Amino acid sequence: MPDALLQKLRTTVGAANVLTGVELSPYVVEGRTPEAAVFPGSIEEVAAVMALASEVGTPVTPWGGGTAASVGMPAGRTGLVIGLRRLARLLDHEPGDLTATVEAGMTVQAFQTALGSRGQWLSLDPADAERATVGGVLATNACGPRRHLYGTARDVLIGVTVVTADGAIVKGGGKVVKNVAGYDLPKLFIGSYGTLGVIVEATVKLRPLPEQEELVSVRFDRLKDAGSAVKAVAASDLIPNAVELLDGAGASGAGLAAGSPTPGAVLVVGFDGVREQVDWQRAELARLTGPLGGRDPRLLDAAAWTRLPTAAREAFSTTAAVMTLVVLPSQVAEIMEQGAGIARGRGLQSAWAAHAGVGVVRGALASEPAPKDPAALAVVLAEWREMARAGGGYANLEWAPLAIKSQIPVWDDPGAAGRIMERIKAQLDPRNILNPGRFVAGI
Amino acid sequence: MSTLTDSRKRDLRRELESILGSGAVLSDPDELMVYESDGLTLFRALADFVVFPTSAQHVSAVVKLANRENLPFVARGAGTGLSGGCLPTEGGIVISMMRMNRVLEIDYENQLAVVEPGLVNLHLSWKVGPRGYYYAPDPSSQQACTIGGNIANNSGGPHTLKYGVTTNHVLGLEVVMPDGEIVWLGGKTREACGYDLAGVFVGSEGTFGIATRIVVRILKKPQAVKTVLAVFDAIDQASAAVSAIIGRGLVPAAMEMIDHLTIQAVEDAFNCGYPRDADAALLIELDGLAVGMDVQAEHIVEACRESGAREVRTAQSEAERQLLWKGRKSAFGAYGRVSPAYMVMDGVIPRTKLPYVLRRVNEIVAASGLRVGNVFHAGDGNLHPNILYDPRKPGEEARVVAAGAEIMKVCAQVGGSISGEHGIGLEKADFMPFIFSAADLALMHRLKSAFNPSGLCNPGKIFPTKKSCGEVGPVAYRPHAIEEKGLAQRF
Repeated sequence: MPDALLQKLRTTVGAANVLTGVELSPYVVEGRTPEAAVFPGSIEEVAAVMALASEVGTPVTPWGGGTAASVGMPAGRTGLVIGLRRLARLLDHEPGDLTATVEAGMTVQAFQTALGSRGQWLSLDPADAERATVGGVLATNACGPRRHLYGTARDVLIGVTVVTADGAIVKGGGKVVKNVAGYDLPKLFIGSYGTLGVIVEATVKLRPLPEQEELVSVRFDRLKDAGSAVKAVAASDLIPNAVELLDGAGASGAGLAAGSPTPGAVLVVGFDGVREQVDWQRAELARLTGPLGGRDPRLLDAAAWTRLPTAAREAFSTTAAVMTLVVLPSQVAEIMEQGAGIARGRGLQSAWAAHAGVGVVRGALASEPAPKDPAALAVVLAEWREMARAGGGYANLEWAPLAIKSQIPVWDDPGAAGRIMERIKAQLDPRNILNPGRFVAGI
Repeated sequence: MSTLTDSRKRDLRRELESILGSGAVLSDPDELMVYESDGLTLFRALADFVVFPTSAQHVSAVVKLANRENLPFVARGAGTGLSGGCLPTEGGIVISMMRMNRVLEIDYENQLAVVEPGLVNLHLSWKVGPRGYYYAPDPSSQQACTIGGNIANNSGGPHTLKYGVTTNHVLGLEVVMPDGEIVWLGGKTREACGYDLAGVFVGSEGTFGIATRIVVRILKKPQAVKTVLAVFDAIDQASAAVSAIIGRGLVPAAMEMIDHLTIQAVEDAFNCGYPRDADAALLIELDGLAVGMDVQAEHIVEACRESGAREVRTAQSEAERQLLWKGRKSAFGAYGRVSPAYMVMDGVIPRTKLPYVLRRVNEIVAASGLRVGNVFHAGDGNLHPNILYDPRKPGEEARVVAAGAEIMKVCAQVGGSISGEHGIGLEKADFMPFIFSAADLALMHRLKSAFNPSGLCNPGKIFPTKKSCGEVGPVAYRPHAIEEKGLAQRF
């Protein structure tokens, strides 16, 4: 990076907010060190930094809490990290409107704490909430078990402010819960992995905190039976806020497999509402699942919620790779069973956990007892992807070391829609400086 | 209207007929007149052709022909739109989707349906109803409007307070792109690989392409429903009740406000049992589990009483519930009892600003020497002031349009939006700068260029422009054909 640029960055954000050299170690991703990390203190400063980067064509990686920094392909060219940690204020929370506006660098946990003190919450429950930022969660479309009832970022984000590749400050949507004026830019930026702009501010819909919330586990000897139970719940009058299905290994990753015998599968269902509603639903769940082989319905402690999103990854002391398969909800148990079989056939252990009601399945491959050959792992992952595709779904590598990413594409093929995505990228980032090469279709 | 010569037009008609078959192409000006406006009859424009495809391949072939001839084209559903969004402002081809109206697939296990865009919204709920399911977005025109049109406008409805608008219920779409290519955006799964193109497409008002198949979610009908009517002597009390209910941590399925003038009209027309002397009524609906519903209803009743409600009544039977809803859903038609014409506005404000904005709306309309009736989605702050006027009186219509613009400015000033569900279309294109900067609009334009680089797909909408075409622009009100037949009302 030219010294002149570094000097301009220091002038723009203050020397203390520009890191270089050894200070950059927290921002090393897969062995690649950025040339500098910059921490603007205002949206205007983000815009000024982007304008400088754009001028010289330096690649830029927006950085929230860094919890998803290794998702995707590493940037082909290293450049500038723009950290949002200094943009971390809650700008506006009007409980009567059930909306809040927040700067992108605020952590999800800090945001929830502030909202909770006034009886409300943001209905997104991603992993690593104490580090993950609102902007990062939006950019990576992260969520957790409660998405079953409350949906994902696309269902809560009503307004977004971004800094574009050329340094313009642009907003889409607004501050009201219903709004069809102009194109739906919030949807465009959700899950775009920092390839279209730097999210600097968000306005979200909120919900009142429920009076009660419970998480209940039911054990099954066979995954297949647990899968039938998921379908029975979906067809019932229950209104669960989470429906999670874990195989034995996945259950151990979530700390739900204690005791003997180790269950073949665990169904975890969440309920919220007023006391009577939660009580009725818990009883109804036991009534529905008992005849299907469900046993030992058990109330879980609240900490179990946060272990569910990472259950597959945490199943092994050394995990080789995690893949997210998005399929039809009705296929989930079969996909888990079949996927475990594919791994076993290659002598590998796998662990599975799914947001079963919505068809989002995570499979993790173990790299124990001994490290595994990346090529062999890639073969299994490719077969998992084929399995998802065969049912009309797709699969992305959620986490894997470079040795595996070089053997199998991180992102699935978006098909003909990929060409539209390329055109959008070319329109919004014509110099290709925002996270170049990280995302689908080489974007 | 475009400048096709008669002989060129004859050639093109023959070519369109060879693609679509005879009986699927209109080009006679008398026939084209039916398609010159949507539900907002202030704007009119004549197409050169109206065509009726029955497949994506048909649509693609027509679009490719249009590209070759450099003719603009626009998709049209039932024509119940309220912003002039489907008007052929520069002539060209109107592609009516009304013959593509099939339900192609219903997957109860995965709670989704695949439908064609010309399917009438309510018909989907009818189709899945016997199995205990329904399609949640319920625009008030749902007995006439199509799901394709709902996609274009990201339509809402009373129950979107709890269940979200169209975009929250669309998983994927097969789209004929503006260059004629057929592409799937999203699919049947809950997420799609890459950018959320389905999410971007919904609400793009027909400027990103033409949907030919749509995958929507269908929901299980709730176990129980409870409908409450709260009556107030002052509209400010009703507004306060909305905030009080939200403040108690309740999110009803619907929360609708009906003001004094509207109550008069509704009672004249339908006798729904709203007290005539009330200043405002709130229609509140809870749904969900049967257990716990009484507790929640009690909270609602308390919140209304604490806000000053003089009467709070719970529907005791399904018949009574339907009657209460009939008043709300038929309010627009009922205005005919009190005024020869009206124009419906659509704006959104933060809920907490309701008392202030309703006062301003009344002041603005009164200053124009006109009357206004308010019936709207109070729960999500989506206002529908209906300005009553007499189109035969010279100058009244211009005053309506001017008052409408003032109301939109007030919505923008309090941090709201200029459209909650009707879209920008032609009507509000020039109001976009009220809420968006030049940079905001420039980014939107780039996005449009990615989908629709030639600009032939539904030109002249959304973006502020000087009106370029003499035939487009406010003209005297007259009811649309489907209004006259009682098939649709303005909401």
